[in-house]
Amino acid sequence: MDLAPSEDQIALCDAATKWLGQNMPLDGARGRNPALFDEMMAMGWIGMTTPDIGLDHASEALVFIEMGRCLAPLAALPSAVAARWFDAPGKTALAIPDGDAVDDAVRIFDGEGATLALGLWNGNAGSIALPGGLPAGACLDPSSTLAVLNPSPAPMVASDGRAGLHLALLAAAYALGCAEAARDMAADYAKLREQFGRPIGAYQAIKHICADGVVRAAVARSQIFYAACALDADSADAAYHVAAAKRLADSAALANARDNIQVHGGIGMTDEASPHLVLKRAHLLAFVAPVATRVLLDAVLES
Amino acid sequence: MDIAFSPAERQFREACREWLRANVPAEHRPLNAVDALDFDKSWQLRLFEAGWAGINWPSEYGGRGLTLIEQVIWLEEYAKASAPWIGANFVGVNHGGPTLIANASEEQKAYHLPRILKGEAIWCQGFSEPGAGSDLAGIKTRGRIEGDEIIVNGSKIWTSFAHVADWQELVLRTEEGSEKHKGLSWVICDMKAPGITVTPITKMNGQTEFAQVFYDDVRVPLANVVGGLGNGWKVAMSTLGFERGTGFISDQVKQSQEVDALIAKARANGMIRNDVVAEDLATLRVEVSALRAMTYRNVSEVIRNGQPGAEASVIRLFTAELGQRIERMAVRLMGAEALDFHYGVDNPVSDYLRGFAATIAGGTAQIQRDIIGERVLGLPRMR
Repeated sequence: MDLAPSEDQIALCDAATKWLGQNMPLDGARGRNPALFDEMMAMGWIGMTTPDIGLDHASEALVFIEMGRCLAPLAALPSAVAARWFDAPGKTALAIPDGDAVDDAVRIFDGEGATLALGLWNGNAGSIALPGGLPAGACLDPSSTLAVLNPSPAPMVASDGRAGLHLALLAAAYALGCAEAARDMAADYAKLREQFGRPIGAYQAIKHICADGVVRAAVARSQIFYAACALDADSADAAYHVAAAKRLADSAALANARDNIQVHGGIGMTDEASPHLVLKRAHLLAFVAPVATRVLLDAVLES
Repeated sequence: MDIAFSPAERQFREACREWLRANVPAEHRPLNAVDALDFDKSWQLRLFEAGWAGINWPSEYGGRGLTLIEQVIWLEEYAKASAPWIGANFVGVNHGGPTLIANASEEQKAYHLPRILKGEAIWCQGFSEPGAGSDLAGIKTRGRIEGDEIIVNGSKIWTSFAHVADWQELVLRTEEGSEKHKGLSWVICDMKAPGITVTPITKMNGQTEFAQVFYDDVRVPLANVVGGLGNGWKVAMSTLGFERGTGFISDQVKQSQEVDALIAKARANGMIRNDVVAEDLATLRVEVSALRAMTYRNVSEVIRNGQPGAEASVIRLFTAELGQRIERMAVRLMGAEALDFHYGVDNPVSDYLRGFAATIAGGTAQIQRDIIGERVLGLPRMR
């Protein structure tokens, strides 16, 4: 049992953090150069768990947490899953079906240049072929475009249930990235902004909001590590642990994103400042592989 | 990263299970304090004789000399087997002992550690005072040095097991006129020494587990100072460090069992059909799972770096507040039956009332949040 990242994993993460900091800062989430996605593919960050690259889910999740912190493109999530389970290298768009019936509408996010979209139908990963010339409309998350297909083309569903868990785990990693980004943004601002002659972070009312953000992120991160290892080990209760990770990461992302806006005060509610970008991403991620309460209550856990 | 245990660790777990299956007493730990003390002492001795006390303590002082992983496995199996709470041995085994291991002289360790492990010596803690709670450095209990003795005067409060303890980990001011965390010393105080008066305090659940302790010219040999005169703050902080880091593992396993029992109860009484109840139970379940993952992470960090990280205070805070959420749910699922509680009854209401201590004792939730804000995030201090 070892739930701390290895030296290799730390090195991988550090390299990712460095590249992301230089090339993909959070405040540039709107209007990113599409070539950056291709660069991430070329570096092997998307599709790390394919037999070609052969890394484990834990290593991949660690890198996706770092990507999530920068609000990296949404398409990285479905693309990593499509590369592993659908033998589809290249960019795959994110599909969020309106309902579980096959002829319901489906929303397609970050679809430019993609010929496939991937999402969950009844908890199973499915892919749909995208028609050419999709409109690139705006949506809640300003980092992404949106097109709606109504009705949805029939999805081709993965035969292996782990494909759906893979998408849920990566979405949880992205959500944790939001939670950590919001936590750090709030703390940095609380050190800088002065009122009543002191940095506002010295006041307990602000300090404790920031501390709660640390707790939420630490809780979600721990469960994501555990879930990734459970998926790697193909444990019978992996589905539960992934769902638990997703549930905790989503609530951490939303709560930290909201608190970050409050800590920022007036500037926090503007279009110009970045806090709203994190909040909007967190809302979107909550719709990727949403967790049914039943799954959490009914699961039988290995002791 | 890996959640699998090694073959040797799995074998160790099997040995724990087997012994616990055959030896966990069928009767409950008595509620009455006198009977409970006998029970705690004889159970601790049985654990020691079978080699289950001090699993990660050095073998020269009666421990097994194994790693923290074996200690975690033992505590997990211990809780799963519904083995009794270690009760009066809690302070010695979880606070006093580990502090001595980290700070005490050879003589102190050789004398005290085996006695703690055998359940021969009961310990209590003497940190908080009526005027020094969250501001622990405001300690006023003073020790005047006279020859090779310290003459102690003052008072400590919220001292669990004070009425049955043999020894106390006592933090007091040994340097006259010193302020805050300077001039404090951590000493081993004989609770049977002349001049000590213990006044029990009844908690709001009717139980009398803690007390106020008064010191009237109590003589403590200078040889009982641990870690050197004037270093009491540093030594005391190492105790709180243990408490915050790894001292709560069996609580966490118990919390997991309690949540699963609450889910079963809500299914049986139909309350699970209420979406709000179902949602809250599911949240408790995932939080308990995450707590185990967080503990494993912390243990992995300790094994790698020799110390729990700053995030140990995160575990402490999360465990305490999660425990209270579970206790509240247990009472909620009782419905109006909760109103039948009265002193002397041991049921979820009693646990709920006792549980208020979790966010007060050993550093309030507010102090924990200060620590997280300042040490993890580097926010400025107000004090």
